[in-house]
Amino acid sequence: MSRPGRATKVSRKNGLFKVTFVAMGSPCELLVDCEREADANALADIVSTEAWRIEDKFSRYLPDNIVHRINNSEGKSTSVDDETANLLDFAAELYEMSERRFDITSGALREVWNFDGSDKIPTGQDVRRILKRVGWEKASWQRPELAIAAGMQIDLGGIAKEYAVDKAAGLAAAETNAACLVNFGGDLVANGAPSGTDGWQVGIDAINRSQGTAQKLIRLKNGGLATSGDARRFLLKDGIRYSHILDPTTGWPVADAPRSITIAADTCTQAGMLATLAMLKGKDAESFLEDQDCQSWCLR
Amino acid sequence: MSRKNSKSVTATLTTATCALLGTTATTPVNAQEEDTWEFDTALLYYAEDNDRVQDISFKMLAYRNFVDDRVLSMSLGVDSLTGATPIGAITFDGPQTFTSPSGGQVRTVPANEIPLDGSFLDTRVALAANWQQPLGRLSAFNAGVSASKEYDYLHLGANFKLSRDFNNRNTTASLGLAFSSDELDPVGGAPMPLTPMLDVDDLSNRMGDQSKDIIDIVLGVSQIINRNLVVQLNYSYSSSDGYLNDPYKIVSLVDPVTGDPVPRIPTPGVEGPSHEYIFEGRPGERTKHSVYGQAKYYMNGKVLDASYRFMTDDWGIDSHTVDLRYRWPFGGQSYLEPHFRYYTQAHADFYRTSLDSSQALPLHASADYRLGEFDAFTVGLKYGRKLDSGNEWSARVELYSADGSMPADLLIGNQGGREIYPDTDAIIAQFSYSFGW
Repeated sequence: MSRPGRATKVSRKNGLFKVTFVAMGSPCELLVDCEREADANALADIVSTEAWRIEDKFSRYLPDNIVHRINNSEGKSTSVDDETANLLDFAAELYEMSERRFDITSGALREVWNFDGSDKIPTGQDVRRILKRVGWEKASWQRPELAIAAGMQIDLGGIAKEYAVDKAAGLAAAETNAACLVNFGGDLVANGAPSGTDGWQVGIDAINRSQGTAQKLIRLKNGGLATSGDARRFLLKDGIRYSHILDPTTGWPVADAPRSITIAADTCTQAGMLATLAMLKGKDAESFLEDQDCQSWCLR
Repeated sequence: MSRKNSKSVTATLTTATCALLGTTATTPVNAQEEDTWEFDTALLYYAEDNDRVQDISFKMLAYRNFVDDRVLSMSLGVDSLTGATPIGAITFDGPQTFTSPSGGQVRTVPANEIPLDGSFLDTRVALAANWQQPLGRLSAFNAGVSASKEYDYLHLGANFKLSRDFNNRNTTASLGLAFSSDELDPVGGAPMPLTPMLDVDDLSNRMGDQSKDIIDIVLGVSQIINRNLVVQLNYSYSSSDGYLNDPYKIVSLVDPVTGDPVPRIPTPGVEGPSHEYIFEGRPGERTKHSVYGQAKYYMNGKVLDASYRFMTDDWGIDSHTVDLRYRWPFGGQSYLEPHFRYYTQAHADFYRTSLDSSQALPLHASADYRLGEFDAFTVGLKYGRKLDSGNEWSARVELYSADGSMPADLLIGNQGGREIYPDTDAIIAQFSYSFGW
């Protein structure tokens, strides 16, 4: 808890303890169905500490962490710890599963693609220049040694938040049998239903109506729920289809992707990765999801 | 090993996730989608100056959102109208006496005042229900019914709409149909068009209930141009048939030289109109065509919404409407939305300020100010705020001002210097609250 702004706020609402804090650039929330405030405080510590630990370790914006060392290795090999190695193995699997579209080295594309609402479209030349520094196949990964060329970068941001939700929820479940909901910026895991209910009510933006979007209500008792896309952002609410997801095989945004995809799965990580993989399918997102054994909600 | 041919990645992903999280047995996911309710409510106050129309209305829209994207919406509206409206007789520098709509008494309007009908109090109740459901992945179907009732008026309607997405959902085309059947039962009976306003208790030119039918067809296309711009284009056709008169509107018969109403002497011993007035007479059919274009431009959360409508009908009324709204979000949960609207219309072919008493009556005539030539401006500001609960409230204040202009060829005799057209200024205030669960 060394960084400024790192504090948890605990309040009681409708018979539940609500813990809020900020991590990984997102508002984070923990809801606990327990009697004693001390138990809620203990869980607040466990969950927030884990979120901040993962942020500190894997954020590409922070200096002196493993990602920073890899990105500044100037082509030299870096030896990584077990947890990082597990994430890199996972990223390598996703790279293959997605036919090279889920690529943790694609972050460099953001140097030319600026999704700040302006209309600056890079030239084909700009994109091709950046693509020379993109591609997991250019990296050498032999657990525990990773080497990437000078100028290449890795970014675990596409995995870390969902991973953090699962890790934090796992630690919470090990600590208590009380029902709780871990929610990091809309990606969440439920450990059991609060007493007297059959699940946590979660609202997702999912109904397309002429006046705009409305919420759908999901009752989550166990498992993970994750959303990919920008449904919560106003600019995208009324019918803008351009995706903010870049396809590293072309260097351009995925065309005709849904506005948002929400998935329910056993873990938040599974849900989040399926949502991202579906997003990368563009107009075929729905048919891809039909082939998966999962509950999904697509907003076009 | 190539997984390209394997459609499902679920098994591979499950294995990889277990390896990452170091867990083998988690509780399987248990998620269930639920039906939801949403409510939009609004309280609106509308007031014209000079004690003309005042309307206090309450509206409630309830949505039942079913799993699988089916939506049932139901609306209830209650209006309480009070005040008075111009009846069409011209202003004159002497008092004017009129028989009341019921034909049972007289009312006298002082010199130099715009003749209004007696103050009325009317309550309108409107109900509507609409069902929306997807047809396959790209199409949607809508069907609805509506009814409204006020003291002398009953409306019944039905509507259908079909829409379909094309072009990777960047284009949506829709076809809408609406039918309505309205019944009028005016106080004292509907007057026969272009017949004189008679003495008290003389109902010889009154008819029974009247009705009109309206068919509307709307063809629409909406197109996403790029990530900032969405445009919508509609063509509408509307055909009305039946009794299209306002049964309470009259036209003054005037002297061709002075332009003053022609005096009239009621039957001895009976009260009646002081001057010659005839009930208005409109055509029994009306066909409207309109084209509507809208562009919404999104800039970092700000939205500029601009629209234009052109309407033309076989009564000779052409109108143009320009509407601009700019939504400016601030502070995360609030927004301000200035609104500007300009409306202009040409008068109906049969619109007359009054009729020359020395000439034969025309086939159709009306002095209803709503069929005259006028420009109207609306300026307003709305403030909205989203609450932590997800509910939202907003407040809006608008000013409306309509100014008529009277073409010289419609003025008779020395009417040029007088205020013939009743201008309207109004204030609109609304409070809305949306909530759901």
